[in-house]
Amino acid sequence: MTDTTTANTTPPLKRALIFLLSHRAAGLFLFILLLLGIVSVVNPAFLEVQNLKDIAVQAAPVCIISCGLMLVLVSGEIDISVGSMMGLLAACMGAMVSESRGHLPPGTAIVLTLGIGVVIGLLNGWLVAYAGVPSIIVTLGMLTALRGVTEIVMGGSWITDLPDGIRFLGTGAFMGVPISLWTALGVILISLWLIHRTAIGRRIYAIGSNPHAAYLAGLPIRPLKLFVFAWTGLLTGVATLVSVPQLSVVDSGIGVGLELLVVTCVVVGGTAVSGGLGNLSGVLCGVILMTMISTVLIFMKLGENATYWSRAIQGLFILGAIIADHWISRQRKS
Amino acid sequence: MKQRILNMIWQPETFLIVLLGILFAAMGRLDASFLQWEVQRALSSHVWELAIIAIPMTLIILTAGIDLSVGSVMGLSAITTGMLFQKGLPLPLACSASLLVGIFCGFLNGWFITRMKVHPLIITLATMAAYRGMAEGISHAKPVSGFPDSFTWLGQGDWFGLPVAAWVFAVMVGLVLWMMHGRAFGVGIYAIGHNETATRFSGLRVDRYLVALYTFSGFASALAAVLFVARRNTAKADAGMGMELGVITAVVIGGVSIFGGRGTLIGACLGVLLIHETREFVSWHWNRDELNLLALGILLILSVVFQKLLRHKQGSAL
Amino acid sequence: MDIRPGEVHALCGENGAGKSTLIKILSGVILPNEGTVQWDETPLPLGRVHSVEAHGILAVHQEPVVFPHLNAMDNLFVGRESAALRGAWLDKSTMRTKAREILANLGEELPLTQPVGDMSLAQRQMVSIGRALLHQCRILILDEPTASLSARESESLFEKVHTLKQQGVGILYVSHRLEEIFRLADRVTVLRDGAWVTTADIASLNQETLIQHMVGRDIPSKQRSDVPSEDSEHRPPVLEIKNLSREGVFENISFGIQPGEILGMSGLVGAGRSEIARAIFGIDPFDAGEIIYLGSPLSKGFTIQDTIQAGMAMVPEDRQQQGLVLPLSVETNLLLPSLSEFQGPLGLKPKPMRATGQSLIEKLGIKTETPAHPAHSLSGGNQQKIVIGKWVHRHPKLFILDEPTRGVDVGAKHEVHRLVRELAAQGSAVLLISSELPEILSLSDRILVLCEGTIRGEIKGNEATQEQLLKLALPEETRRSA
Repeated sequence: MTDTTTANTTPPLKRALIFLLSHRAAGLFLFILLLLGIVSVVNPAFLEVQNLKDIAVQAAPVCIISCGLMLVLVSGEIDISVGSMMGLLAACMGAMVSESRGHLPPGTAIVLTLGIGVVIGLLNGWLVAYAGVPSIIVTLGMLTALRGVTEIVMGGSWITDLPDGIRFLGTGAFMGVPISLWTALGVILISLWLIHRTAIGRRIYAIGSNPHAAYLAGLPIRPLKLFVFAWTGLLTGVATLVSVPQLSVVDSGIGVGLELLVVTCVVVGGTAVSGGLGNLSGVLCGVILMTMISTVLIFMKLGENATYWSRAIQGLFILGAIIADHWISRQRKS
Repeated sequence: MKQRILNMIWQPETFLIVLLGILFAAMGRLDASFLQWEVQRALSSHVWELAIIAIPMTLIILTAGIDLSVGSVMGLSAITTGMLFQKGLPLPLACSASLLVGIFCGFLNGWFITRMKVHPLIITLATMAAYRGMAEGISHAKPVSGFPDSFTWLGQGDWFGLPVAAWVFAVMVGLVLWMMHGRAFGVGIYAIGHNETATRFSGLRVDRYLVALYTFSGFASALAAVLFVARRNTAKADAGMGMELGVITAVVIGGVSIFGGRGTLIGACLGVLLIHETREFVSWHWNRDELNLLALGILLILSVVFQKLLRHKQGSAL
Repeated sequence: MDIRPGEVHALCGENGAGKSTLIKILSGVILPNEGTVQWDETPLPLGRVHSVEAHGILAVHQEPVVFPHLNAMDNLFVGRESAALRGAWLDKSTMRTKAREILANLGEELPLTQPVGDMSLAQRQMVSIGRALLHQCRILILDEPTASLSARESESLFEKVHTLKQQGVGILYVSHRLEEIFRLADRVTVLRDGAWVTTADIASLNQETLIQHMVGRDIPSKQRSDVPSEDSEHRPPVLEIKNLSREGVFENISFGIQPGEILGMSGLVGAGRSEIARAIFGIDPFDAGEIIYLGSPLSKGFTIQDTIQAGMAMVPEDRQQQGLVLPLSVETNLLLPSLSEFQGPLGLKPKPMRATGQSLIEKLGIKTETPAHPAHSLSGGNQQKIVIGKWVHRHPKLFILDEPTRGVDVGAKHEVHRLVRELAAQGSAVLLISSELPEILSLSDRILVLCEGTIRGEIKGNEATQEQLLKLALPEETRRSA
């Protein structure tokens, strides 16, 4: 069973499948095109600019957080607290600027919100990297604890009086493109730079790829892990700022279930849960695909009950991604 | 002999008992009415479901695994009961079907973990979404109610002074204690948690153990679902939402090490009791639920930090 | 010993001589218990890899330490990016040029965008070496660098070694390929049984004398048991291996073991002995060949549980990670494979368990305060006895022992040897893998010598000598010229 013989005997279909799955962005891109094709045949209204814009705006905050979460997974850890983080940051932001509560100037609120996000991220990172608590436990505990703090901050009532300065972040546009999309673009560019052009980026991949080798090479494993969690916290803050102000009401249920969506996007996008593997283009395709799905379900005229299957589809996608990764590594071994 | 007694006393379970004692004393002073038997019994109506799921979760965590899908299996089983009942199926059959659903879901978890060698964390994270999603999709998130009294008695009624669910729990605990304590099965579980490789190389069928445990977890979740539906007289897809956190926290606080190999079922039960009493008291006396969530999350993290410190102290010998 | 600038200093010794440990100390992975390492006459701070590297000591290990998901370029530069940093940007073109330069110097044209994990072992080795060369090193430690290189790749490596020599870099070269040593080295240090034997100019030695130094110990008068091994020619073999192969690991392995026979497997680390044993036991897979156990071939996809049920037993190489569950008690560890025997309706019967445990402890001479003490509280030798003991109870028909006396003190070693002979005397077939030549010589009825995955020789136990075994174990080119 040498390499040459398998290359000759693997059926072309199988080889194509292996290629598409290994180069996740390519495979997902084709799949998205396929899906677009099907939906637009069933319901051409899907391709209208306004609809696509809505999908993009919906995808923006998910995209922003995914850029951070991808690095967490690449470094070999996991973070399921981002949803609760967003809930808390939304509550804090709302409480700070609300005319009936904090009444702080929007600029201050923005800085403070981002700051709180970073602090929570640092706390997560410290517990994982320095206290040695498994990241699943830390972020599971955070997921609950932060939800509790959110309730406390909200004090039982919703926030409805957001000033225009803040609302602009969510509803405003620049050159016809919503702020959230510009922000997402900015985050993507920064992430590209971080991953490909900085020592930090390369080292994060190294840690996840071979922790023992990383130790032998003297890489600063703990500070790097601290960084990825803090970075994710910051990005969650950014995502909160550009998405929550779109709503007219800030309630304590914001962000529930978000962590699952983000993890799905990142894992479906080709990021290995074991670390060391993952690229931004795959994650982007994952984000587009997963946020498209609920809208697709509506437009496919499958009936009013179709949207109830969103979470099931998410779960099946993660399972699919896991099975695909497993299958590829077995193919690789032979 | 003295050493042996000292060894027996110096266990996490003892600390838990002492902690509980202090807690009860403090609660008594703050609000004596809380400790009345009637009050306790009424407040306990919902904790049995968590307690039942905590039993297999303890075993799973002892093997250094985890099951995040328990709440979702509960939801899927709940709607199975509800929808089959709605279709006219006699309840015993509907409940059996939902137990089978739970068994199947758990078995699937175990199969993925042992066959595909994926970490239990990832698989159960995925099935957590998939199973809940299926529950929502199949039921369109519509609740089913109107169950007959003969059924709701299971969740709301008493039997010899205790809730039926309490008896179910007691029987399960007894059975599992019997299976674990001083039996090959129990030794095997601890061995797997300490060192899966060496246990495998000693001839134990580790894969069978693991599949059995996850299947058991699915069964317990389904059982909890049936009791839940009976208690609330409603079958909804969001049954058990957030259950996994409560169960894992209770088990970990009960002294079961997340790293595997350490802890007891009794400790886990004490952990359940601790969490339950704290939660209920905070609601009873201060009427603030939000503190519960915060406390739960912090408690989980702190217990594991504590476990890590303990491991470090003993680690020099290992 | 000392290393001079610009010299190639070879380090020789058989398995277990202490070479790897010495290298781990020098490269900062572990700390020594005693002694100092001096660098330019000042003590060198040990124990931290990158502080040792900062001084300019770099090691290239046998198992290439690479990041499988990263490409060759990243592997070279990660952790040492300053060479290519322009402000906040990693200058990719500089990285690319430098990477190509280094790899080309090593005679290798590697694709720079492929994940290193997809590359062959030899290529990964190149990357590992390239990484060491990127840094300005003053001492380069090469641990078996040519073990998986082709002739052409090895030649390039030798040229690079020569270049570095000229630049004043001191090179510590560990290898079993005596031909390379005689070609490259200026001096050679020989270690044996953890002790320094000699340091000499290479010119003053030849292969015979070098082997002598590596091996030359007082060969004990054959401590072979006086119990004549039974005339087992007419008994059917317990195990018969036919053409067992696993690509890249071992090839065409065929042998048989009779009941009551001790078959020794000798050879260097990496020869494939443990992998063959693990394949027989069911842990590792194999590509081709047949394993015939007790007359019938093992079915496809057999597992450890199957082989254990059928009467095989294995004492693995790594007793702490694979042989014992350290936190559990001595008694539990001893009875772990046999728990079902003691299962009663009310639980495990404590009395029979205690009795069996106690008798095993006595029979094996396990020194423990009580049977309830955890296994990790015992010494290495006693721990090893537990690993052996847990199988003794089941009277296995085939007993595989992989380095049974590694890390075991002299007294316990004798006891383990006694146990092994007893096992054979009671009728078990014993497959003994050992890197200790005296041990294998004193215990084995027959000895197979493996080298690079194939059987190079089979010698009767009472006819073999240490030199013979080592010669057969050394790689091909060396043997031909010896």
